[in-house]
Amino acid sequence: MNDLGQASANAFELLLSGNNDIWEIISLSFGVSFSAILIATPVALIIAFFLAFFQFPLRRTLISLFNTFMSVPAVIIGLTLYLLLSRSGPLGDLRLLFTSKAMVIGQIMLSFPLLVAMAHATFQAADRRAWETAITLGATPWRAFPTLMYEVRFGLIAAIVAGFGRVIAEIGCSMMVGGNILHSTRNIPTAIALETSKGEFAQGIALGMVLLVLSLSLNAGVSVFQGKGELRT
Amino acid sequence: MSHLITYKNITISLSGKSILNIDQLDVAAHQCTLLTGRNGSGKTTLLKIISGLLKPNTANIHYQGLDMSWKQAKPYIQKDIIYLHQQPYLFDASVSDNIAYGLHRLGESKAVARQKVMHALQWADLSHLAHRSAKELSGGEKQRVALTRARILSPQLLLLDEPTASMDTDAKQQTGLLLQRLKSEGVSIIISSHETHTVKHIADHHLHIKDGQLETIEPSTDSDKVSVLKPSKKQSVT
Amino acid sequence: MIFLGKTALSLNPTTYISALSILFFSLCAQASEPLRLATTTSTENSGLLAELLPAFTKQTGIRVDVIAVGTGKALQIARNGDADVVMVHARQAEDVFIAEGFGVNRRDVMENDFVIVGPQNNPAAIKNENSTLSALKKIATKQIPFISRGDNSGTHKKELSLWKHAGINEKANWHKEAGQGMGKVLLMASELGAYTLTDRGTWIAYQDKLSLQVLNDGGILLKNPYGIIAVNPALHKDIQYLKAMSLIAWITSLNGQRMIDGFQKNGQRLFYPTAIKDVIADE
Repeated sequence: MNDLGQASANAFELLLSGNNDIWEIISLSFGVSFSAILIATPVALIIAFFLAFFQFPLRRTLISLFNTFMSVPAVIIGLTLYLLLSRSGPLGDLRLLFTSKAMVIGQIMLSFPLLVAMAHATFQAADRRAWETAITLGATPWRAFPTLMYEVRFGLIAAIVAGFGRVIAEIGCSMMVGGNILHSTRNIPTAIALETSKGEFAQGIALGMVLLVLSLSLNAGVSVFQGKGELRT
Repeated sequence: MSHLITYKNITISLSGKSILNIDQLDVAAHQCTLLTGRNGSGKTTLLKIISGLLKPNTANIHYQGLDMSWKQAKPYIQKDIIYLHQQPYLFDASVSDNIAYGLHRLGESKAVARQKVMHALQWADLSHLAHRSAKELSGGEKQRVALTRARILSPQLLLLDEPTASMDTDAKQQTGLLLQRLKSEGVSIIISSHETHTVKHIADHHLHIKDGQLETIEPSTDSDKVSVLKPSKKQSVT
Repeated sequence: MIFLGKTALSLNPTTYISALSILFFSLCAQASEPLRLATTTSTENSGLLAELLPAFTKQTGIRVDVIAVGTGKALQIARNGDADVVMVHARQAEDVFIAEGFGVNRRDVMENDFVIVGPQNNPAAIKNENSTLSALKKIATKQIPFISRGDNSGTHKKELSLWKHAGINEKANWHKEAGQGMGKVLLMASELGAYTLTDRGTWIAYQDKLSLQVLNDGGILLKNPYGIIAVNPALHKDIQYLKAMSLIAWITSLNGQRMIDGFQKNGQRLFYPTAIKDVIADE
């Protein structure tokens, strides 16, 4: 095994040379995670808003349920989804197991509770006057909602970024329901696991660097946005 | 005296405790009503019910010749009645964007809307603040922007919750001036306040909330404490 | 932006949905459904499939998704109907799989062999043992660490049957179950100075990265035949049986067998075709 420095140098070379396989894996990772967040976010925001602004039965139960689901490990979600989507499982007819769609579904399930919980905290802290002002100025709820979201946008962006951060780096669920199929369901984390098991450290490190840079900037982004949110309110 | 709108049998209770129990509330058209009561007496609650923001347990409404439940009336009263918070909330945008907010509903072209906003800014003497961020304004300026933002929608009734509570004299005067103008333009106004002297000169009527019920305070019976008789100050001290 | 809300604040649902569907469909744009091959990590990691499958796809137009796992898991995936065809190396398990009615049309594809590898200093001193079983006995008596796959893969099954043949039933601390793929286990053995059983293909692919050496090979017990089996189409209504049979036909055809024969890694042959062995041997 060559030393770490050599492997890292090879990794840089791989990334810069525009190695097709690597960039295919990276774009698949982003495609899947973006889709998952894009689908999960609107529903999560609406639910979070209802939980924060309206009183209804089971409201408290729901809130604590979402908070609890936030800590369900990815492999558990992966396993559950695997059993559901397998052709011998109840949803087998959909033929989704080992496809990128299954990965999207898994990541939606992973990010959803986090999105709801964080967005709920944001809406909870939002100024009620913003909503009332929009309504009294004649806005329909459908228009007042975006207005309110705009007022607390920093907190919501922090929630979305955190959700994205959770799914882009997640391996347990992607490996199980995706199957790590080349050109089809191999994303950054599953590829790192595979390359490491093959002893191809350069490729593992190259992908690891992409993920690391991404995670660090996402985390930095979250704290910046959360900080801004606090300053504004 | 004609009534703009009449609320009957308003009741509301929060966590089992009765807050308001009002038989009848007539809102005088084109006039200004002062609403007083101790802190926590339910002034804000009443204003929010009137404006359609808060759902009462019961309320019947007579408006534009129709008898309706609160729920049936809600779309109409939300359209024609605007509620202003004690400290008005301005959206995180420029002053002119804030003033334009409600125009969206009227579906006017951008050019017309821009014209309207410009006139409104002139009306309130706020033109110099047009492009400032609304979040950076002083309390008095915010109040004036909020009034302008309400006026541009030509409401029938304006509800002001403690409008001058935490303002310096200067800001109070400017707000008072705008209120006078609004009233002279025919807008009905209800002002809630626990201190009466700053707004009494424009108030025509005086209602007082006590133990969840409304009492009308006649100028004659209460002349030295609150003079709500007529617009001008001189007349009120008789 | 004079209209707060018209620009920044409101999401136009139509735009949103169309953007969403573009994203989603680009993810699953491949027109026809690919054939799903569940196979062992050894065929995938050695690079053999990366050479064979493009040729197959080029000739037939059938795209192949490879799910590379251990033999046990590959057969389980096929049992569940989540693969259309399996290529594995565990003859007994394959026979059970077919006997239970999950698989049909098994064909021999190729074979390689297993080798026992161990640290350079060879603490169990098995280098000159001709018999595989006595080599294993020595490791067991001297209690030198041995890394087992422990993942129910073909190699793991082979290893267990070897221990059984050697009469070693009590395996104490020196026998470590890794629960990992072959490559990972080789890397672990190298790091820990332990022995392990590996297929020759993976060994050749990895040997440069390891400080291990081959200490026992060539025995009849170490043969490692690969078979390909179509999943019984009667099992689930959407098994792609015809495509599976195409792959079986192609990989056991003269063309496919020649490619297996010619496949080299690090200048060494990894697999020996067995479907029509005599024909190729004659050439």
